[in-house]
Amino acid sequence: MTVDLALGVRNLQKVFGDVRAIDGLDVDVAAGKVHGLVGPNGAGKTTLLRILFGLVAPDAGRLTLLGREIDDVGERSADGVGGFVEEPRFYPYLTARRNLELMADLDGGGEARIDEVLGTVRLEDRADRKVGGFSSGMRQRLGLAASLLRAPRLLLLDEPTVGLDPTGARDMLAIVETLASDGVTVIVSSHNMSELEGVCDGVTVMREGRAVWHGSMARLREESPAPAHRLETSDDVHATELAKNDGGLEVVADPGGWLTVSADRDVLDDYVVALGTAGIAIRRLELLMTALESMFFSLTGEPAEPAPASRKPDEISAGR
Amino acid sequence: MTVGAAPVTVADAPRDRAGVGAVYRVEIAKIRAQLLPRAAAVICLLAPFAFAIFINTQSSVPADWLFGRWVQSSGFATPFVLLGFAGIAGFPLIASVVAGDIFASEDRQSTWKTVLTRSCSRGQIFVGKTLAAMTFSVVMVALLGLSSTIAGMLVVGRQPLVGLSGELLDQTRAITLIVASYGLALVPTLAFTCLAILFSVTTRNSMAGVIGAPVVALLMVGLSLMGSGVVVRSILLTSPFDAWHGLQISPVTSKAIWIGLLVSLAYGALSLIVAWRSFRRRDFAGDGQAPFRWSTFGRAVVATVVLVGILLVGTLLSETWITSTHLEASVSQTLGNLIVVQQQILGRELDPAAVKVYPYCKRESVISGVSSGPADDWTCQVFVDGPHVSRLAADYSIAVRPDGCYTADAPAALVGPLHMKTPDGGTTINPLSAFDSCMIAP
Repeated sequence: MTVDLALGVRNLQKVFGDVRAIDGLDVDVAAGKVHGLVGPNGAGKTTLLRILFGLVAPDAGRLTLLGREIDDVGERSADGVGGFVEEPRFYPYLTARRNLELMADLDGGGEARIDEVLGTVRLEDRADRKVGGFSSGMRQRLGLAASLLRAPRLLLLDEPTVGLDPTGARDMLAIVETLASDGVTVIVSSHNMSELEGVCDGVTVMREGRAVWHGSMARLREESPAPAHRLETSDDVHATELAKNDGGLEVVADPGGWLTVSADRDVLDDYVVALGTAGIAIRRLELLMTALESMFFSLTGEPAEPAPASRKPDEISAGR
Repeated sequence: MTVGAAPVTVADAPRDRAGVGAVYRVEIAKIRAQLLPRAAAVICLLAPFAFAIFINTQSSVPADWLFGRWVQSSGFATPFVLLGFAGIAGFPLIASVVAGDIFASEDRQSTWKTVLTRSCSRGQIFVGKTLAAMTFSVVMVALLGLSSTIAGMLVVGRQPLVGLSGELLDQTRAITLIVASYGLALVPTLAFTCLAILFSVTTRNSMAGVIGAPVVALLMVGLSLMGSGVVVRSILLTSPFDAWHGLQISPVTSKAIWIGLLVSLAYGALSLIVAWRSFRRRDFAGDGQAPFRWSTFGRAVVATVVLVGILLVGTLLSETWITSTHLEASVSQTLGNLIVVQQQILGRELDPAAVKVYPYCKRESVISGVSSGPADDWTCQVFVDGPHVSRLAADYSIAVRPDGCYTADAPAALVGPLHMKTPDGGTTINPLSAFDSCMIAP
């Protein structure tokens, strides 16, 4: 079956006690795309994924998964949908392989693919060890392996890089890209906008159970404000005065004792040259927020995950 | 292809639906891999041997327990003694080891999201887990029955056993009764399995799930010891554990068996219905085991105290069915059979119909009026008439339990010593010196 829309959510609502976790959410994700769900903690990302998995029944709304309207949400996980929500967990007294065998049995088959998926997530060497001794990152990878056993056409991954070292995170996102190139629709949640930037075709920014922005990653980049930088100079007062002459530049004194400079790359280059020409020494210049992180901040009102502090100098001006 | 990613195959074919069978297989595999169920199986396997060996090294026997006086004389007494012990809280505990944990462990290990995101529906998962827990209970009861029978036969021997009706049970009859008795014990054990599942689902806490059903069993046993009212006793789930008594009295009565079956079915069905409603409607919105809440615990304690109080009042206000008339009928029947057994041991054939037993039973503490109720101050003056035993008279001291079972002892001067010589020079217990039997509630 060919489907244009892998996920369709209309006016979805879910209330837990006094908390409105999902509040009239509308989301569409085209088939074969990688789509990001971003938002601060409590935005409703995980609740949405739990609803998509059938773990939580919505109070109202319509849900379409892989072209089929789901009218028994909460009864069973929909066919063709795989993935994990929060940190994947397994039976600690069983080996990784045995856990996957049991999962395959619960899927009605798939044992033949166990070695393949273990290789995909690079756990073939640990397959016969008990999961109780696994690190968080290894469990994360095993979670992906268990998801792949179902040969999903829609893969839902909740914070898939949490607990992984940089290499593991890179591998995880590489697998996501590979799956997408094979036609799998992938929905990835994260509170780290920059992490999703390189892999997602589209993104939904969530806040308090609602979608505050929904569209392609390209459009998000276009609409994003300038990236923010931290600047420390020998004469902050003079440096601020100098910026007032440039319309594309915003310089604000931070209570922490530095200047926050919001500017696109070309404007920032000119400003740096101007500071030097004016005899103002630059003691420190680093990226605070990429353009997408700035957008995230403006949409959600929450501080985004800070940009990595160890970026190379040539990355500083490549923030956008 | 990007760095670090190996090729991934994506199948388009729809997957076969997994069903109850898949869930059942998975649960059985998990049970087999866990320490606690393994330990329970080892205990059920070895404890009877330890009991049989220990009891046979002692100078005294647990004579106040049904068949306790025979544990050193016949190996077939061992499974019946252990059946009586296990009926107090042993079977409920065995049932709870898996059933009380089988749902709550998914909360404890945060694995619900792992299980529920596969291809099985909640209904299939509920049924599969329930069947797996029941399988464990069945296997444990069967293991205990088998192990205790083998332990008794190996450690003590295969001597005939004097049954509750006073008749001699040969090997075939004894084994048949053991199988039937443990089979009957399975029914309330499965009901306790369902109750443990209810605790497991609703508390989402392994500890509460595992100890909940045994605590209920102990409360019920406590209530049953408070009085002998028929109605309250009938609705207690521990009473069906005594249903096997009906197989051994003469004539065999099935009333207690049917009542036990209905009560067990009611408890089991109600527990599963409530558990399923709770499970089906549940939102799996977070990970981890449900935290202990004093408020919930307090409400549970208050509700339990109120319920137990109502049942206790009902028990104490109920009129007892244990009367001198019932006791005299039981003693007459049992002692008549025992006299035949004693004469058989002495090499004399005796027609049971030719033996007439006339008991007169009363409680020592009752000065005037009708004697009734469970107590250990019953005495029965017994006059026996018949070939070889003409004009035998004996006073038996009898302790009657609230469930209608009793132990009777007579002075050696009247019925002979505890042990007597057989014609071939051997020694055996004198069946008239003391005996156990049961009355069945009307």
